Amino acid sequence: MNAGSVRGAVAVAASLCALAGISACDVQSDSSTAKSGSSASPAAAKDLKVGWSTIYLTPSWMQQTLKMMEGDVTKLKSAGKVSSFKTLNANGDTSQQIAQIRAMIQQKYDVIIVDAGSSTALNPALEQAVAAGITVVAFDSLPTSTKVIRVGTDQKAWGSMMATWLADKLKGKGTVIAMNGPAGVAVSEDRWAGAAAVFKKYPDIKIVSNVHSEYNLAPAAQAFASAYSAHPDIDGVFSQGGALSAAALQTLVKQDKKLVPVTGENYNGFLKMWRSHQKAGFSSIATAQPNYLAVIALEAAVAKREGVSVPQDITVPLPEITDKNLADYVKPDQPDDSYPINDLPQSEIDKLIGK
Amino acid sequence: MRERITSAARGNTDLVGLLVLLLAVLVAYQHYDSSLLSPASVTILSAQFLPLILAAAGQTTVMLLGGIDLSLGAVLGLAMAVFATYDAHSAGGVVTAVVAALCAAVAAGAANGTLVAYAGLPPIVVTLAASFLWSGVTLIVLPQPGGHVPGGLVNAYNNGWNGLAVPALAITLVLAAWKVLRTTRHGLALYAVGGNEHGAYASGLHTRGTKIAGYALAGAFTGLAGIGLAVQTGSADPTIGTPYTLNSIAACVLGGISFFGGVGRMRGTVLGALVIGLLTNLLLFTGISPFYQLIVQGVILVVALALKTYLTREAAV
Repeated sequence: MNAGSVRGAVAVAASLCALAGISACDVQSDSSTAKSGSSASPAAAKDLKVGWSTIYLTPSWMQQTLKMMEGDVTKLKSAGKVSSFKTLNANGDTSQQIAQIRAMIQQKYDVIIVDAGSSTALNPALEQAVAAGITVVAFDSLPTSTKVIRVGTDQKAWGSMMATWLADKLKGKGTVIAMNGPAGVAVSEDRWAGAAAVFKKYPDIKIVSNVHSEYNLAPAAQAFASAYSAHPDIDGVFSQGGALSAAALQTLVKQDKKLVPVTGENYNGFLKMWRSHQKAGFSSIATAQPNYLAVIALEAAVAKREGVSVPQDITVPLPEITDKNLADYVKPDQPDDSYPINDLPQSEIDKLIGK
Repeated sequence: MRERITSAARGNTDLVGLLVLLLAVLVAYQHYDSSLLSPASVTILSAQFLPLILAAAGQTTVMLLGGIDLSLGAVLGLAMAVFATYDAHSAGGVVTAVVAALCAAVAAGAANGTLVAYAGLPPIVVTLAASFLWSGVTLIVLPQPGGHVPGGLVNAYNNGWNGLAVPALAITLVLAAWKVLRTTRHGLALYAVGGNEHGAYASGLHTRGTKIAGYALAGAFTGLAGIGLAVQTGSADPTIGTPYTLNSIAACVLGGISFFGGVGRMRGTVLGALVIGLLTNLLLFTGISPFYQLIVQGVILVVALALKTYLTREAAV
């Protein structure tokens, strides 16, 4: 056998493998789709085929959200309301998320839950899904389309809650470093807009540096360290995310500097640090993007299929963590990278979704 | 006859392999979505793949010159932002918006080309710096997701216009233009400069001009990709372009474009982009865990590349 025919054999074998491998997938899928051949009758929410399309699945917040959602799915399955639940991860690529939504339309899902990668780019695809009779509910990071049900918190209120507390703490006077999320991301821009509106009322509060960073400890720590070395005499830090707050506080502690007030989020690493430095006079406020938003979104979708008139926009109140109730939230035995928040009672959920 | 087919296949071993892979993916796809070959599906899929195909075409142009464009995603975002923020109701409407977006993208490309040609900087450095520069400019043009694209255009693009798959038509037109361009002096110069710069210079080609023109052409393809993405999504998002940089490189490499310049064909790139796009969709259909989807995607890419390299080494043996 010469080299050429060996190559030919490899080529043929490879293409046969490709075909065989992929058709093997088909057999599997045929049996699974045959089972879930659900009919979508809107009045009776029975045997719903539910899909969750999310822009990221890897962050711990998303993992916790998935767990909470799966818990609710198990409940709904045993109640005979949901037949199947699938999670689709776009891995940060909005174009891929559009593809996911189109795929779910083609596969005749009954309910699509979305955590959007872009506040505008998904609109045409989501509206197409709604037009195809699919119930679409978005939560957390929301699209701007008015045709889908949106479950979220008021991001501007988040920003103004943090800024108001900080302004009070500083008695309306001082220099502040602002720690924001990535530039151009809607959540970050909204939270900052809310904060900026508050700071405008205090002409004596000076934002000496406005830092943009990933909502992630390592890049945030770097970003804060460079801003802080330029302005070591600040009186406070406005931060709009837990990892950003943790990065700022960590820098102050490590460099043994004065623990100025830093606003926060229910990121366990930050809450733990807050707790342990409370005696040294550190004070903060924190709120949360609660993981139960996902459960509310799912419950809203099922309720909608049952004929409940679910409001188009469901704004979930922001929890408030202060120096006083910190002990109820912080979980010393849990990893830093977790988001301690308790389930929302069913009665509260029912109230929010208009049951 | 048989000999003609085998000799044609021998010259195109990599393309034939890619076609087999594409066929395999299509057969599987047909199982999950039996409407695959219906006009509606062709429109939807071509609408989805157009940005990647055009971005990969831009990347191909740069890679044929022996470079690599890390600013592609940023320039794509810039073109998208310029296109969607231009108020379509004022003078000239959509046409002006298209021209403005293309001008921005071509200028960005030409700037890369000039720095590579005259400052003698490595393309990877120039385009990496350019990626920061243009994402900054994009945020000035459009600080957060928004902008506006006329609804009629969005509808025609995503759902077809009088039964015509507009995106597929656009891709065909761009490819035809490339085919014509390839036979001209400029097109040939592109391959010559990418393959052997000193040789091209010695035979009297204006190598620097060719580089600038090549990068500008890449900018034009990238700009078209950005406009396509804006029309597909009905808006613009300043951060949406980033994944296109690496995806376009993956499509090129899978399509047989050499990292060292001068080798490869546009149809290979298009096939590569189609395989990547369809494969992603297919993995969504199979419904396996998202983490395994990434693994499968990576393994298929590596195996396809390894096989291709193995099968096309015959020239060297």
